Amino acid sequence: MSAAQAATGDSAPEAPAAAIEVVNVSRWYGNIVAVNDISFSLGPGITGLLGPNGAGKSTLLHMLSGFLAPSAGSVRVLGEPAWQNEALYARVGLVPERESVYPFLSGHDFVLLSARLHKLPDPRAAAAKAIKEVDLEPAQHRAAGGYSKGMKQRLKVAAAIVHEPPVLLLDEPFNGADPRQRLHMMDMLRRMAAEGTTIVFSSHILEEVERLAENVLVVVSGRLAAAGDFRHIRRLMTDRPHTFTLRTSDNRRLAAALVGDPAVFGVELQDGALSVRTSDFAAFTLAVAKVAKDADVSLLELRPTDESLESVFSYLVNR
Amino acid sequence: MNAAIVGLTVRQLLGAKRTMLLVLVALIPVVIAAIRRFSGNDVDTDHWTATTLLGQLVVGTLLPLGALIFGTATLGSEFEDGTAVYLLSKPIARWRIVASKLVVAWGATSLLVLVSTVASAAVSLESVGEGAILAGFVIAVVLGALVYCSFFVLLSILTSRALIVGLLYVFIWEGVLTRLFGGLRILSVRKYALGVADQIITAPSTVFEADLGGGRAMFLIVAVTALTFVYAARRLRSWEIGEST
Amino acid sequence: MQPQSDATGSIYDLGYRRYDGVRLGRQHAVIALYLYTLRGAFGLGRRTSSKIIPVIITVIAFIPALVQLGIAAVASGVVEIFAPENYFGYVQVTVALFCAAVAPEIVGRDQRARTLSLYFSRALRRSDYAFAKLTAFTTALLLLTLAPQAVLFVGNTLATKDTGAFLRDNWSEVPRIVSSGLLIAALMASVSLAIACQTPRRSYATVAVIALFLVTTPLAAIFVRETGSWGHYAILLSPFDLLNGTTLAVFDIVPDPDTSLEIADLPAWLYPVVTAGYTIVGAGLVLRRYARIAA
Repeated sequence: MSAAQAATGDSAPEAPAAAIEVVNVSRWYGNIVAVNDISFSLGPGITGLLGPNGAGKSTLLHMLSGFLAPSAGSVRVLGEPAWQNEALYARVGLVPERESVYPFLSGHDFVLLSARLHKLPDPRAAAAKAIKEVDLEPAQHRAAGGYSKGMKQRLKVAAAIVHEPPVLLLDEPFNGADPRQRLHMMDMLRRMAAEGTTIVFSSHILEEVERLAENVLVVVSGRLAAAGDFRHIRRLMTDRPHTFTLRTSDNRRLAAALVGDPAVFGVELQDGALSVRTSDFAAFTLAVAKVAKDADVSLLELRPTDESLESVFSYLVNR
Repeated sequence: MNAAIVGLTVRQLLGAKRTMLLVLVALIPVVIAAIRRFSGNDVDTDHWTATTLLGQLVVGTLLPLGALIFGTATLGSEFEDGTAVYLLSKPIARWRIVASKLVVAWGATSLLVLVSTVASAAVSLESVGEGAILAGFVIAVVLGALVYCSFFVLLSILTSRALIVGLLYVFIWEGVLTRLFGGLRILSVRKYALGVADQIITAPSTVFEADLGGGRAMFLIVAVTALTFVYAARRLRSWEIGEST
Repeated sequence: MQPQSDATGSIYDLGYRRYDGVRLGRQHAVIALYLYTLRGAFGLGRRTSSKIIPVIITVIAFIPALVQLGIAAVASGVVEIFAPENYFGYVQVTVALFCAAVAPEIVGRDQRARTLSLYFSRALRRSDYAFAKLTAFTTALLLLTLAPQAVLFVGNTLATKDTGAFLRDNWSEVPRIVSSGLLIAALMASVSLAIACQTPRRSYATVAVIALFLVTTPLAAIFVRETGSWGHYAILLSPFDLLNGTTLAVFDIVPDPDTSLEIADLPAWLYPVVTAGYTIVGAGLVLRRYARIAA
């Protein structure tokens, strides 16, 4: 189910339950517009903020975290304005992009400091729990200055979740993490999302967003290019042909048969596979089985070639 | 005030190379006093101690330099290193963060300069109680450190070049312009500190004299500290994350 | 349905081209770095906030010259406060502040941004980099040590009634002004770069540079005044006194009474010699740093 939806320009906020509510937000620096009239609302679950460098992802995330004032529009988190609202941080966790940590503090002391600053009743227990959560226990008593990039990332996440916030914002959280740590952190974020946390993370790496996010917000040139389930978004783009890759018992025969189908407007044989382009996703998936059966060809594999976020994304960027 | 931030900031300052450099600089007045003493020069010692050693060297140079380095380091280095966001993304009123940073900078500056003041006065003066010179400068240093630190903490929020702007203030504004144009003395922290010292020192004006009255100096100390602190807290509330340089 | 994209792949022609033109080589690389550094010293080509401080400090260094010309306009030849031989004494703190503000930018930026390897992988050698930085910063400092003097000289020339006579009487000052300005700029540049290039951190470098110039002067003064003749050599440890002594030596003038220089009473030729020595040592330290720095 999609929890993200692009609100139309001037619609009033409908569900008060939305954890994050962005209405007609713009942000400009001098005469450079970084974010241009963006509106969306988010509920619990994981949302990926995706866009090329310089698209305005960070600007948007900084506005969500109260570290940038919107030049126009309103940013509300848990029903409250994000800007100049220090009390809100009791319910928001933030993982900043820069990998800087206090080099002289041990990992444990850094998380403990965060717990103390949140005035938690039992800061030590909370710190221990958060450190365990990010799998940093073996290194927790070493000075953080000597941590690897991936360890610093996990340390920052531990400090951000120490107060178990209902909203967690992460700026490029997988930078420098090795594949195993990446999987571990993804699992952790999924678990938190399942418990009802609203998680927003930015990334320019499509594979991460694709694997983790149920929803995507695609930001291109400061504007919201798409919002929602990315497979769903893909299907909305009917003005672009879909491509399927097929493996069959006889590619050449099926190709000949498919050319006759009205939904198909391109067939190509390459390296033992058949590539078919169609204008109608649904009609083709229904028709292909029948055509294959009539041509007496067995279908071994049928998959959409360009369903990945990458192709959706490059389509949106180049549109 | 926040105990966790105070503790963190103390650790930050203790580990910094700049602090070590400052401790060396703080020894210089003591060394100078010792050289003068052991070379047997005792002409006008009270006047030299009060006006040159404590007035020019300690209050005029060491105090602003120490306050500048500690004042800009406590918060400014967190902006520079990108760690400030860990403090600011907490449910703590921003004025408390400024207060915590200011208290540490003030304490560190006072400690550093007071050790230098007491040691150099003890070396230089025949009797430390002489004309309440030492007492006057102790109070002057503590109050001067407060105003300077408050101002420099504000500078570190306003600009990433706080250190050099502060140096320009200390050496061009206070060092040259206030000397040339007497009317500017109400905007010179050094003059406030010297005014306070003058108020307490009982020795005759041939020994030490300030060009700002003690009452006005006290008033300006309170007013400037309050204004810079309030403005610093306001600016920290509307602090925006920027590109790192 | 597991989306995959491994079955498709294309290489697009993005229009990248190889550079086939003439490569100008090492000498031009040094000149390019020299010019880039010189512009950067005043924040040219950078954003406005980087220009403000160097420009303000530079303007301050011109103020005595402008004041003197103002005086000359009212009472030509009567009152001379700021003269070529004492000019540096009035702007020494300003020049030191310029060094403290700018030297860390000149040698610290590439260390902070880890761009040194990009330079060293070009025709440029490590020693060329150090050389370009040293000469560019010296040139930048000439704008503070020499340019105000030039303004003063030209202004004084124009202010006199008999321009020809003024030039006849004063032309011999020109080589003295130029050589003292060069010596000052070279020493300040090489010493402050030698300190600043040791650390990528701007604040450490600023503090260390300003501390060296300002702390040594009162220390030297007390040694000179209070200790025996051996202590007089302490004045050579203070760059400000050293440079003022050098200037007086170049102009062949005796120091004012009751100054550290007068009390120290060292032979005048010693100051330019030690100045040259410091400059060489400072430059050597910069070269050594860049020969060893990991990039």
